[in-house]
Amino acid sequence: MSGKNAELETMASTIGARAAVRPWRLMGFGYIIPSLLLLAAFFIAPLWFVGEMSLREGRLPPPGGGLWQNYERLFLDSFYFGVIGETVVLSLVVTLICILMGYPVAYFMVRHASARLYNLIIFFLIAPLLTPIIMRTFGWQVLLARRGLINEGLMSMDLISKPLSLLNSPVAVVLGLVHVLAPFMILSIASVLSGIDRRLEESARMLGASRGKTFLKITLPLSMDGLGTGAILVFMLANGSFVTLLLLGGGSLQTLPLLIYQQFNTTRDLPFAAAMSIVLLVLALVCLFFQLRLIRRKGA
Amino acid sequence: MSIKLSRRQILAGTVASSTLALAPFGPAFAQADSIVVTSYGGVWEEAIRDLFVADFEARTGGTAEIQIGGPPQWMSQIEASLDNPPIDVLVNTIDLALVAGRTGLVEKIDRSKLKNIDNIPDRFIDAVQGWGVIFDYGSAGIAYHKERVTNPPSSIKAMIDGALAGEYVLSLPGISYAPTPQMLIWSLADALGGSVDNVDPAFEALKKLQEANAVIFYGGATEFLNHLEAGEAELGIYWDGRTWSHFSTGAEWIGYINPEEGGVMNPVVVQKVVNSSDAAWEYIDSMLAPGPQLGFAEKVQYGVTNSEVVYPDWLKERITPWEDTRWPPFEAIGEAIPAWVDRWNREIGA
Repeated sequence: MSGKNAELETMASTIGARAAVRPWRLMGFGYIIPSLLLLAAFFIAPLWFVGEMSLREGRLPPPGGGLWQNYERLFLDSFYFGVIGETVVLSLVVTLICILMGYPVAYFMVRHASARLYNLIIFFLIAPLLTPIIMRTFGWQVLLARRGLINEGLMSMDLISKPLSLLNSPVAVVLGLVHVLAPFMILSIASVLSGIDRRLEESARMLGASRGKTFLKITLPLSMDGLGTGAILVFMLANGSFVTLLLLGGGSLQTLPLLIYQQFNTTRDLPFAAAMSIVLLVLALVCLFFQLRLIRRKGA
Repeated sequence: MSIKLSRRQILAGTVASSTLALAPFGPAFAQADSIVVTSYGGVWEEAIRDLFVADFEARTGGTAEIQIGGPPQWMSQIEASLDNPPIDVLVNTIDLALVAGRTGLVEKIDRSKLKNIDNIPDRFIDAVQGWGVIFDYGSAGIAYHKERVTNPPSSIKAMIDGALAGEYVLSLPGISYAPTPQMLIWSLADALGGSVDNVDPAFEALKKLQEANAVIFYGGATEFLNHLEAGEAELGIYWDGRTWSHFSTGAEWIGYINPEEGGVMNPVVVQKVVNSSDAAWEYIDSMLAPGPQLGFAEKVQYGVTNSEVVYPDWLKERITPWEDTRWPPFEAIGEAIPAWVDRWNREIGA
């Protein structure tokens, strides 16, 4: 018996030694070097450069100046602090509306639609993503304009006597963003919903749970991963959105991406723009952290 | 037959293949026999390619690669690699051209290397303090929808009064549009009794227009045309050249008026980047030559600066003579921009 063990040990050590000299073993983690190089060249280095730039003197320094002057201007000036708040609130509102609109659509697709209808809905969700965002936003301009389809329609029905100011408002911005971002939410939720074992819901129903309770206790918690992925995607994209705000907002909403563009394009105050970019990034990371924690707790 | 690879060989191969794969995406650094020049997109790029680049290549046998974009982006690229700049010839707005000169990104004009410079009026060089030369200009006046505005205003002041009286809605450049400090803030202040040191009249007029729901703002040049076409506004402050270019595409509903106060001069400057190839002077000379300049004017419908250029009648009617324009105090405006933008954000909105 002991001889057999010794033989096995010898075999094992031989196999181990052979494995150790295999080329891919030799590489260790070398295969990720190209990715690390790319990451270092196109993410870490620019981020370092932006961080360093944000500490330089801006074109409109606050009294006193100092190393952190651009950040002081952002956080101590109530106007700019309000812009940070407006950026977060807009992203949260868009995310919430996408959840409220997207979940029922995803649920219908997975639970009630025939295969043909499911594919048709998928097509209608994906088709707009193939159109450039600027074209879709211009479409909203045509619809919401003073002489646009909505105003003309309402006036022809004698529901209003003069055109409503629909464009250049926060409502127009939210509409435009929800239109652009809702597919990300619906597709994320639908993919997770379709993987839920229907027997779990049926068991809950057989044990006396109502439809509502089954949804709240079984379906919703099990679909939190999809909901979370969708929420993170939508929040991040809304947080950094720029074209929709520029074309549909008309100055009614002020967010960090708009002000960054302005500082780069009009003022050429690159240090202040860099500080705003860093704040936007940190803001996104903080929100991502809390959203992930929330999802994990709800999903647990 | 088996091939054995060492860790070092595999790593070296991986890095080498990554480098080779990425090589085509590397920056196009300026070389002596091939220069990199700049252009805005659209019809501008076509005109630059067909006229200035073609003339330069035919005369010198060199090649010029066009980089499309905008001055802030090009200046950042040059700043990042000043010893070996990725751009030889910079097309710039006048306020940024002055900044580029002050911060050492460009060279002073060398008259001995530009044979066409003698036909360029001194004002087009002095305005940039010699840090380049103005080769083309636009004028910002009143563009309007002819079918909806039968009696258009003849001055900036009348335009504001008409909008406040509810006769029409204005589409004006917003603060995200780079030329707004000159073409709107200074222009309004100047027309309403203010100056570069006192822009209160401009901001007061804009606030009144906002309160009366008589104004919307555009963030890019095309957006103004969309505002007029979609019926969101009836008239506004816009460029002569862009108005006539749009008219030429069949949009005969659009009209242009040079206001009584004078349209606002918007010069386009060409500059030689420091440490760039000497061939850049030859290219700049092509941009100042009468033949290519006339072709450029016919294509983009903006005025050019060589005094030898004779416009055909159809174009002469459309181009605002530079003597009839108002020249903003560009340098003073450049200094004031951060404070104006900050004030705009607080009082008008982004």
